[in-house]
Amino acid sequence: MRFYIALWFAKIVNGLINLIDKSRGSNFAGEHAMKIDPQMVAHFKGIDPDRVLFITGTNGKSTTNNLVNHIFRENGKKVISNLEGANLIYGVCTALIKASSLTGRVKADYFIFETDERFVPVIRRQLPAANLLITNLQKDQVQRNGDPDFIYRKLKEAVKGQNLRIFLNNEEPRARAFDEDAREVVSFGVARHSEAFRKSGSYVTMACPRCHHKIVFDYYNTDGIGAFHCSNCGHRSLAQADYTVEDVDFENRSFREAGADFTMPYDTPYMLYNYSAAVAVAKEFGGIEPSAAAKAFAGFRNVGGRFEIMHYKGKTIKYMRIKQENPETLQTSINVMAADPNRKMVALGLCPLVDMIPHYAVTFYAYDCDFSKLVKSDVEKYFCFSNPVCYDTANRFIYEGVDPAKITIEDSEDVEVIFREIEEAETDNIYLITWLHTYEHMEKFLKKEGAVYE
Amino acid sequence: MSNFKIAWLFPDTLFLHGERGNLLALARFAQLAGFEPEIQKVDFTSASFAPEEYDVIFCAPGEISSFPAVRDWLLPYKARLREYVDGGRPMLVTGTSVGLFGKQILRSDGSEAEGLGIIFTQFSENKAVYGDDIWFECEYNNEKMEIIGNQIQMGDLNIVSEKPFGRLRYGYGNTGKDRNEGVLRGNSIFTNTLGPMLVCNPWLTEEIIRVAAAARDITVGDFGYEPALERRSFATKQKFIETKETGLTNCGR
Repeated sequence: MRFYIALWFAKIVNGLINLIDKSRGSNFAGEHAMKIDPQMVAHFKGIDPDRVLFITGTNGKSTTNNLVNHIFRENGKKVISNLEGANLIYGVCTALIKASSLTGRVKADYFIFETDERFVPVIRRQLPAANLLITNLQKDQVQRNGDPDFIYRKLKEAVKGQNLRIFLNNEEPRARAFDEDAREVVSFGVARHSEAFRKSGSYVTMACPRCHHKIVFDYYNTDGIGAFHCSNCGHRSLAQADYTVEDVDFENRSFREAGADFTMPYDTPYMLYNYSAAVAVAKEFGGIEPSAAAKAFAGFRNVGGRFEIMHYKGKTIKYMRIKQENPETLQTSINVMAADPNRKMVALGLCPLVDMIPHYAVTFYAYDCDFSKLVKSDVEKYFCFSNPVCYDTANRFIYEGVDPAKITIEDSEDVEVIFREIEEAETDNIYLITWLHTYEHMEKFLKKEGAVYE
Repeated sequence: MSNFKIAWLFPDTLFLHGERGNLLALARFAQLAGFEPEIQKVDFTSASFAPEEYDVIFCAPGEISSFPAVRDWLLPYKARLREYVDGGRPMLVTGTSVGLFGKQILRSDGSEAEGLGIIFTQFSENKAVYGDDIWFECEYNNEKMEIIGNQIQMGDLNIVSEKPFGRLRYGYGNTGKDRNEGVLRGNSIFTNTLGPMLVCNPWLTEEIIRVAAAARDITVGDFGYEPALERRSFATKQKFIETKETGLTNCGR
């Protein structure tokens, strides 16, 4: 009875939210309904665990979830998912509430949920998904997670002996190490491509998750991910994953995977692993042939706020989102800028972390990132903004050999001040890198000022 | 030809939080002092390790699960490492790795591990992580100074009768219950502070270089470096710390 009260309450709440602001309903109903029935997710009817997939990992969860959903829906499958990115149990619960009947029955071909890597054990206790996809497990959110091993251990405990089919990233050492825990492994990967890179010996790699010796990367396809082997034990990427993106042609925006030709919706290297994973899931989980998945690729549009191009007062501004405390997303942005041979301005707002109390002024992850190629490229000026970490950001550039005369600093996140500095650049080629929250403020300003988005 | 050797212990195993920045700072300031610095990695593949051959030894934080393997490799060199530390030579150990150099590590799952025992501390892993800024006063090489950095605390550090490195003005420090930050043994620093600390606080970096040089009877004068950028950074972060919301009560507000 408790379940029904929670469900009906949540449906009324959802109805009210829809009347007020549809964008705010991704967590709210589930969070409040679960106060009435804490086991609510377990009480929905009609869910076959074999038809449930959790997509977890540090980077790429949302994009992969969106792409998988897009492919499945384009191929006539009914999917229940949390596409709004609410990836804790409340987001999953809200998605099920929205899709269920008044008796709590859900009818769908597949249930595909993005799940925060910390909360996989919690969600699986109520919704025992038989399929798990791990994008990667990297340095991220250290204020709450400390180090990658903290998450690795949590996830290991959650999957051990659970008879899961695991889709895992062949070229990310921690994800690869889950092969020993799965009933069935489906690996996905990317062959070495033209924008693969190496870092000098002054950069650290990582500890082997099995023996703690050094992991050696032959190259990186994207930061922290590429063909690897442990310098001590046998842990290594397979020469060929079950599903591998090959023949990548960034210029013509194409690649091949599982015998099919694909068009890239986004021609950036970090997207390739998401593509590879989505094709593997489509075939193995959804029974969708790669050729059919390929047809869906052309019409895929990712969730906003990851990579945006806009035109503002004669400038072309390319925004790239970074996650604070996360060197991989920053390195990806650096690589994109470094690959642009044209003169550019770099506007970098690392910003303090304000996710939880206490806020803190962190920039240390920038020392894991290799700025050398960016610095060697044609940069007119570096603009470091955001209180109170702008000076530390500037110092990172100086430690990379940038002439201090090319650096301007603004101890503020005042949008008008930031865009005044951008307007003063001689080049019209502007790269703006900051976290999503600051960008959302900027976006409001830009739209008000008449910026045109591509 | 290098005349200033810096040892970087297990960089790829103890690889967290961008701490390679400390190496860059040490090398930069050694150069400003007129030396030709060289950073040498010491890890599982090294044939041997002679601590006394280095002017500075640096060890960054790592995952606690890696500590037993590193400890076992370093154990044959324990006496020489202790001699290095007790002889007043400069070693810098940051973050969780302070636990590795202590006597005992208690894991949150109830298991225990021995540390190297260079300092007499006990590290107890907590179930939850605590991340924050840290701000403290300290004295190093007879110079009083203030340090601001970050702290990602995986556990509490009981320093028993060791001398704390700093007195907190804000932050969790060793336990979140008092105002002690880290341990200072001779001229070796064992600190919770990240940042990288030596990039953000070059006044400390200069003193470490001076201590290292003095061990070879070399006196370093003025570095010729004006840390204007770092002082502005310090001031704005100090203000940020003084005005932010916190649950810590150990330092008062």
